[in-house]
Amino acid sequence: DSHIQYERVGADVTMKCGSMDWDAAVTWTANGTDIDESHLNGSYLILKNVDLSQSGQYSCYEGSSWHLKYQTYLKVGTPPKEPVLMCRSNNYPKGFYCSWHLPTPTYIPNTFNISVIHGTKDMVCEKDAVPKNRCHIRYLQLFSTVKYKVTLTVTNALGKNYTAVTFDEFAIVKPDPPESVVAKPVPNNPRRLEVSWQNPSSWPDPESFPLKFFLRYRPLILDQWQHVELSDGTSHTITDAYAGKEYIIQVAAKDNDIGTWSDWSVAVHATPWTEEPKHLTTEAQITETTSTSTSSFMAPPTTKICDKGAVVGSGAVAVCWTAGLVVAAYSVLFI
Amino acid sequence: GDSWGIFTFLCAALCNLPALPALNCSEELGAGQSIQQTYDLTRYLEHQLRTLAGTYLNYLGPPFNEPDFTPPRLARAERVPSATVDLDLWRGLTDNARLAANYRAYSRLLCYLRVLDGQVGTAELRHRLAHFCASLQGLVLSIGGVMSSLGYPLPAGPAAPPAPPGAPAAPNDFLKKMDDFWLLKELQTWLWRSAKDFNRLKKKVPPAVVTLRLEARGF
Repeated sequence: DSHIQYERVGADVTMKCGSMDWDAAVTWTANGTDIDESHLNGSYLILKNVDLSQSGQYSCYEGSSWHLKYQTYLKVGTPPKEPVLMCRSNNYPKGFYCSWHLPTPTYIPNTFNISVIHGTKDMVCEKDAVPKNRCHIRYLQLFSTVKYKVTLTVTNALGKNYTAVTFDEFAIVKPDPPESVVAKPVPNNPRRLEVSWQNPSSWPDPESFPLKFFLRYRPLILDQWQHVELSDGTSHTITDAYAGKEYIIQVAAKDNDIGTWSDWSVAVHATPWTEEPKHLTTEAQITETTSTSTSSFMAPPTTKICDKGAVVGSGAVAVCWTAGLVVAAYSVLFI
Repeated sequence: GDSWGIFTFLCAALCNLPALPALNCSEELGAGQSIQQTYDLTRYLEHQLRTLAGTYLNYLGPPFNEPDFTPPRLARAERVPSATVDLDLWRGLTDNARLAANYRAYSRLLCYLRVLDGQVGTAELRHRLAHFCASLQGLVLSIGGVMSSLGYPLPAGPAAPPAPPGAPAAPNDFLKKMDDFWLLKELQTWLWRSAKDFNRLKKKVPPAVVTLRLEARGF
């Protein structure tokens, strides 16, 4: 019959051929390959200072009859090191989740056991199917003064280890990063970029638990970020972008009052609007190119700047007026 | 014994706040604005408390100033009003109940803090506590102002000693320190909770509401 045997890396392993006597003539194989007699002490197989590569199926056969007398599966591994445990509330006030992992692999199966104590009460942390090594808890009470203590024990055939974390309800609040970050150039504004985003979908109640945001942006060619903190709203217009330079933009979120900032969102790239012909695709482009070929006495057409769709912001209005005045001046000259 | 009597007297004297004067300026100050100001005050106090608590816990000494210190809550500590509440219950609170809970809690917490102020050893702590108590009184008045402008009655004042006279004063130094620890903890939690309470109120009470109510009352 078959066995499984767990041994530590570096240990010396002695395998007996079942119930055979010490002086019986046997042959050992490892994964089907014969093992040299030098490793035998009588009918015992001696493996010194085992390493991971020696994991496998070991079989012992009676010398002459080649009967299978004993078989075992050797699994070489290590006892678990202290696990790494992290708890976080990305869905406040619903609850929190804890996730864990081992700093180094053990190469053999491990069992994890998690316990949560709130004051004197034991709470159940429900294990998630996906991802593994994660469990979640629903808050029964809000605004608790009593800390939570989460203990994680990891056990395998070679040993056990544990770690614990203690925290206040408020300390572990950390939303997920904002979603659907979009950055767009603003037509006729070479120094502006319009950024918009959405609350992370995991945050259940932004009405009662509003989020505030932190935006950072820089042109790709520079290392220094610029920052803007926004206490409400899910959009912002950058007004000091360098003309024509491609920007990288990210947003982070935080509960207005408690906890810590989320990780940065996925980065988006955008370049402010420029006057290069290849960027313009409206009728105005055609009028501009045709007008430049006519006589210089002709007043420049006003459609390009004062076009209804293109007028954005007070800067454009001033230009509109200026163009109107220029036309008036020329008209007076011609009268 | 004696110390309990002194405590009771102190509390009664310090907590006899004058009746809140009718706010004449409430017609100009929309309830929405007052709620915003009250919210801002809680944030300011929470910030102040962090420094105050750090100093005070160091004054109490170990283990009170250790980060993971979680002493058991003895029955006596229940005198301090707790911010802890069932989630659904908290969500379902009426505006009146929400404001009243805050008003009551801070009135009592202020009371306890004032007693503390009279007992601490160092001048620095006394100064900090006095400053904090002044700000906290401002918060109580601010909440009262919001309630008045919305037409809600103020909860009965904390004139009576906050605990049954039969309860003994802390029999020893350590238990007294534990009471102080929990007082600061509850205060901190209340300030976190109030930020959320006032966020909710902000959304639900638009400035227009107060003018309608004042008209109805013949202002």
